[in-house]
Amino acid sequence: MVLLLSVRCRFVVVVGLLLPLQPSMAADGDRHAPARALLVARCVECHGADAQEGGLRLDSRGSVLRGGEYGPVATAGSGTEGELLDRIRTADADERMPPTGAPLTADEIASISAWLADGLPWPGAEGDADRDPRLDHWAWQPIRHPDPPAPVVAFHTLPGVEPDRNPIDAFVRATLAKEGMRPTAVADRRTLIRRLSFDLLGLPPTPEEIDAFVADVDPAAYENLVERMLASPRYGERWARHWLDVVHYGDTHGYDKDKQRPNAWPYRDWVIGAFNADLPWARFVADQIAGDVLRPDDSGAIEATGMLAAGPWDFIGHVEVPETKTDGKIARHLDRDDMVANTIGTFASVTIQCAQCHAHKFDPVSQEDYYSLQAVFAALDRSERTYSPDPAVMQAHAALDARRTDLEGLKKSLEARRAEAAGPRLAEIDKTLAAPGGDNATPAFGWHSEIVAASNLTAADTEKWVQVDLGRDVAITRVVLHPCHDDFNGIGAGFGFPRRFRIEGSSDPTFATNVVRLADSGPDDLPNPGTVPQVFTVDRASGGSRYVRVTATRLAPRQNDFIAAIAELDLFDADGTNVARGAAVSSIDSIEAPPRWQRANLVDGEFPGPSADAIALRRERDELLAKVPAEVTDGLRTLEEELAGLARQREALPALRPLYTVTATQRGGIPRPIHVLARGNVSAPGREVGPGALSALTMLAPRFELPPDAPEGARRQALAEWLVAPDNPLTWRSAVNRAWLHHFGRGIVDTPSDFGRMGSPPSHAALLDWLAAEFRDGGGSLKSLHRLIVGSATWRQRADDDSSSAAIDSGNARLWRQNRRRLEAEAIRDAVLATAGTLDPTAGGPGWQDFRIEHPEHSPHYRYDLADPADRSTWRRSIYRFIVRSQTQPFMTSLDCADPSMRVEKRNESLSAIQALALLNNGFMTTQAVEFAARVAREAGDEPRAQVDRAFRIAFGRAPTDEERGVLLELLRSHGLSAVCRTLVNLNEFTFID
Amino acid sequence: MTSASHPGSAFPHGNGAPLSRRGWLSTAAGGLGGMALSSLLAGEAPPAGGTHPALVFPVKAKRVVQLFMAGAASHIDLWDHKPELVKRHGEESDFGEPVEAFQNGLGPWLKPVWDFKAHGGCGKMLSDAVAPLGDVVDRMAFIHNMVSTSGVHSAATLLQSTGFILPGFPGTGCWVGYALGSLNDNLPTFVVLPDHRGYGSNGVKNWDAGFLPAQHSGTVVQPGAAEPIADLHPHASAQWLTTDSDAATRRALARLNRAHLDGRGGDGRLEARIRTYELAARMQLAAPEALSLADEPEHVLRMYGVEPGKTDWPTEINIPEETHHFGLKCLTARRLLERGVRFVQIWSGNDNGFPRRNWDSHEDVERDHGPLARGMAHGAAALIKDLDQRGMLDDTLVIWTTEFGRMPSSQAGRGRDHNPFVFTNWLCGAGIRGGVTHGESDQWGYKPLDRANPTTVHDVHATVLRLLGLEHTKLTWRHNGVDRRLTDVHGHVLTPILS
Repeated sequence: MVLLLSVRCRFVVVVGLLLPLQPSMAADGDRHAPARALLVARCVECHGADAQEGGLRLDSRGSVLRGGEYGPVATAGSGTEGELLDRIRTADADERMPPTGAPLTADEIASISAWLADGLPWPGAEGDADRDPRLDHWAWQPIRHPDPPAPVVAFHTLPGVEPDRNPIDAFVRATLAKEGMRPTAVADRRTLIRRLSFDLLGLPPTPEEIDAFVADVDPAAYENLVERMLASPRYGERWARHWLDVVHYGDTHGYDKDKQRPNAWPYRDWVIGAFNADLPWARFVADQIAGDVLRPDDSGAIEATGMLAAGPWDFIGHVEVPETKTDGKIARHLDRDDMVANTIGTFASVTIQCAQCHAHKFDPVSQEDYYSLQAVFAALDRSERTYSPDPAVMQAHAALDARRTDLEGLKKSLEARRAEAAGPRLAEIDKTLAAPGGDNATPAFGWHSEIVAASNLTAADTEKWVQVDLGRDVAITRVVLHPCHDDFNGIGAGFGFPRRFRIEGSSDPTFATNVVRLADSGPDDLPNPGTVPQVFTVDRASGGSRYVRVTATRLAPRQNDFIAAIAELDLFDADGTNVARGAAVSSIDSIEAPPRWQRANLVDGEFPGPSADAIALRRERDELLAKVPAEVTDGLRTLEEELAGLARQREALPALRPLYTVTATQRGGIPRPIHVLARGNVSAPGREVGPGALSALTMLAPRFELPPDAPEGARRQALAEWLVAPDNPLTWRSAVNRAWLHHFGRGIVDTPSDFGRMGSPPSHAALLDWLAAEFRDGGGSLKSLHRLIVGSATWRQRADDDSSSAAIDSGNARLWRQNRRRLEAEAIRDAVLATAGTLDPTAGGPGWQDFRIEHPEHSPHYRYDLADPADRSTWRRSIYRFIVRSQTQPFMTSLDCADPSMRVEKRNESLSAIQALALLNNGFMTTQAVEFAARVAREAGDEPRAQVDRAFRIAFGRAPTDEERGVLLELLRSHGLSAVCRTLVNLNEFTFID
Repeated sequence: MTSASHPGSAFPHGNGAPLSRRGWLSTAAGGLGGMALSSLLAGEAPPAGGTHPALVFPVKAKRVVQLFMAGAASHIDLWDHKPELVKRHGEESDFGEPVEAFQNGLGPWLKPVWDFKAHGGCGKMLSDAVAPLGDVVDRMAFIHNMVSTSGVHSAATLLQSTGFILPGFPGTGCWVGYALGSLNDNLPTFVVLPDHRGYGSNGVKNWDAGFLPAQHSGTVVQPGAAEPIADLHPHASAQWLTTDSDAATRRALARLNRAHLDGRGGDGRLEARIRTYELAARMQLAAPEALSLADEPEHVLRMYGVEPGKTDWPTEINIPEETHHFGLKCLTARRLLERGVRFVQIWSGNDNGFPRRNWDSHEDVERDHGPLARGMAHGAAALIKDLDQRGMLDDTLVIWTTEFGRMPSSQAGRGRDHNPFVFTNWLCGAGIRGGVTHGESDQWGYKPLDRANPTTVHDVHATVLRLLGLEHTKLTWRHNGVDRRLTDVHGHVLTPILS
């Protein structure tokens, strides 16, 4: 609140300073009318209500004084200076404003100058000059807690219509009465349990559950049913899916090189658990933004932060392009943009991303607001971190890490003393010794064979040869093979070095004749040699050879394939000259990916490994170390031992689990400086901004006044606190509106992620506020909100038509009936499994995969068409599906499954021939039809009529009519029970729930 | 009409609305024979017989074929003749400014791999690698000053296919289908013919519907594959299903769904869904016929370079194989266009990987571009000629694109690095002024000659929409608070290339 006061004070000060200086402002109004008219005529098209180029508006006194992204453009009382005047007077046509049309004349410029000199008088607007009318929009106002209106008693006498069951009905029915509509009768119990089951669990009720509920005489039968469902673990699996749509969760990165994220799922499981545990909403929100900061020992709070990393990520833009390049900057800018949009769009329902390039066109959101939010996430990168579900283990690891940090600090100071005693030469030597063995000195790695897939048991024994043409016969005395170093696949030293090989000479380039064995690797597999050169002395009797060939007879294994790679081939003649250097190289094959991999690299003299004079260097090093005091040397040795002990203790602890989330470690916790970017262009940074949020919420401080040395987590903690503040009207309205959407198929605000001026206005504004206040003040319990909503007479209405109400509100925005709902892709698929009796209820863990991967080494091809629909590991609930971004699952996609690349506030609902074909013919559907038939046969026996009746009851919870039974019996007799079952799951009644 | 809607709004926006709100734009819209879905969903059909409000210009093009070269095809080696580069071949490259290249591939100037020769009445210089297109060059308009905002394959490919560098936006064909609906009653509106090796960068994100309803997604068709369209027929494991049982199932579905309608007649979605099953049945019959080449005469197959049934191709990339695969897609495209498919996207090149299976010739332009370009040019020329002789080129637009160009300097001797700063597009057919070049690159083919006035993908998209009769600024869809367009907030129609 301190900041809020200071903002207001500043405003007062400005006005207070100006007003006394302008005693005759109103009287001067007419004199300056031409100047203001010029602004309107020449400037406000781009600097007004419709557009704010550079964040600047020139349509009120306040906005002129406030300036744009780059600061003020004019000062009251200064008639000769300022950006505004500079830009209209300049001779530089590229700089001059207005950019089109004739430049302003000298007289026109003089009139504006005079107006500025007089303090920018703007008659009729003095008092409210700084007031942005967009702030009057409903969403920015505090939440009211209105009293429910009086019940509409007249509705209680309508046939079948229930009396009000809770205040929701009072709000809804007051509107209906006012607009001349009426509520619809209550649905029957069979309809209610089916609707409730799909609503809360995403699964159909069993025929037995339906019978029990229909026959239940307990007056609290319905409430008991609701409680049972809310207590079911299936509830979290249903509602977590809604949430994952909004935060665009996926199990791969997306884009090109759509790599897997094998450790993203703990976040998905946390969401499910959070819903099942009815985590208070404030904690649900705060943990996803800053759980690791708020409760670092709580594994759940850490898993929650997976939300910030849930969206797509450009592997190439981050890994292959450095942050110093423009494309690298764009990738990181877009990465933060995703975090900002994901956070603010999700929790606050504001389209913040619109302010990336310019001030928001419709809502009072400035570019500064937007970049302040980027600053909140400026230290973060998406990556894996480790944690443990056992806080004790995490603490033990943390204690070891802390001790290690201390010891390493001590080690550093001792090393400094050693360096001082030994002199600067020691560091040089250490650097030289460390460098060449550690990685490749040059990017020219060597020769690399084609990759042999591990398709059969003998794949490793595929022969791969590479040879040199020495141009003449040479008697070779010594052969040296230098292994490669490549961190690809985490292999490093010895990359691709064959496990077995032979080295031969010949005068025949095809090696069909005159082959002489020069050397071989012996009868057993060689271990990985690291970068140690492999030296072979050649028997003099071998004579001379023009061609020398190295043939790998057992390839080096990688994860799923085999290769051969050699950095350098040295062939020494009797004089000790390496005759291979620069020779022509040929090979059976080569991946030829220069500069790293190409045949010519085999003889380019470049290879990893210790330099020739390493031994001399080590001797010199020992001499230098002799000068170091014994206490330093001994101290260092003790420290090394203790550090090794710590490492052993760490290994003895239960292992930590990996989690795909965001971490600040890549930047050492230091936030990147964030600048306002003109037009969102990373090459046009404006002024730097600190962390903050939306200034449109005047009840909260818009900028987080953190000390400059505050840890990065403090920024996220501040945003979390801003979001869950009881005074923040957005968060609480957003939450209840999203829940409402999934109970009625439409939110009170029909644009759940956009409460701005271009979003839909609330259909029931008072109800929205009442629900938000109840939800917030009741501890943020989503389950209580569910009880309230599904307990209302409004929710329990039939989905039938009523022509008189439809004539007034055909879209049912006012809820004169319940909406008939088309099931989402997951609910359809899960209902098919439940109906077939094959649903595997196993919860949690890595996602099940209904695809096969081809070409995993680069950009994986996810092949759904190669999966086996009879694979029972895929018969689990759809929320546990492994979600690929670049190749979305075709069956689910045809049913409007959420696109994991987009933040989906509400599912599309399309109907298409492709969808019909998928439901009829997809392997999943045809397989489950057979399973369904087998279940029916088990449960109903052989009699056709009993089979049809049982199948129908399983699918729809009711008995078929005579007509329905007749149609299905005919189908059964001609084409079998599986055909009947396939038909049932394709019916409209299966996907549309009354 | 019973579902959610803003009263009085003929064109409600926002995702997730029930189909009934916008039944006119369903895949089935207007194409069902008898009662069209748009009239079925009466009351919310738009005025003027089911046209989108963006349809304000004369319709020049009814259909579009987009040829997309994945991996970034070299403008310098194919289309954009640079004599200066030949003259300075092998000299140290000097761009006159610091250059940020993707892999720092800034070796000496590298002349085009192939010679250029003048073609057609217009005398356009074309590389020998694309010489077959010389026969139709008088119908083509070239744009040599295309620029991209990204030098990264994934982002730049999305920019060309969707107008945005982020995934999640609808492909061009999705927008066209959304705006104009179908021209047929038994095939998809938007068909994608991927490279036979696999999808390009970003996979299906280049053609899926994004925030538009799923029905506007491109339908992937794999010509020559055992099952060219997913789920067109029952899964191979479902041996128990026969044509007879399929037909019986359809009849039962229709009867039971009709019975279910009783008392629910106000919900247009239920009726619409019944019709999607009828459409699916028609597609099952129509698609195999459309994709079969059995009735194509030998000389047509030869014209496209198609060798039906051939599978024993060499392991190394080669011209006959590339010609066959690209020609097969072009011939398939022609057959689909004839049958009322509105938008066909043909891909050449898979995503990145080794050995190269696309146009990303960092190592060796000749090795990759040689077979790919000759195959592409053969098929594209055949398609254009074939459309022309059938009278379809007058209302079919053919556009050629790639994610960006390649550098005039060499990389690793024979390859070229990415050049997002300039590249080439061409357009041909409906409404296009032939034999012209609009926009030039500089002497090297490094950046636009007039750097202040480049051509962007949004300009090309605006032009494509204009030829289809659409005003690009009016073709919008509200998503997460923004009225999204194919052309984002950009785009100017390229009037100089319009006939």
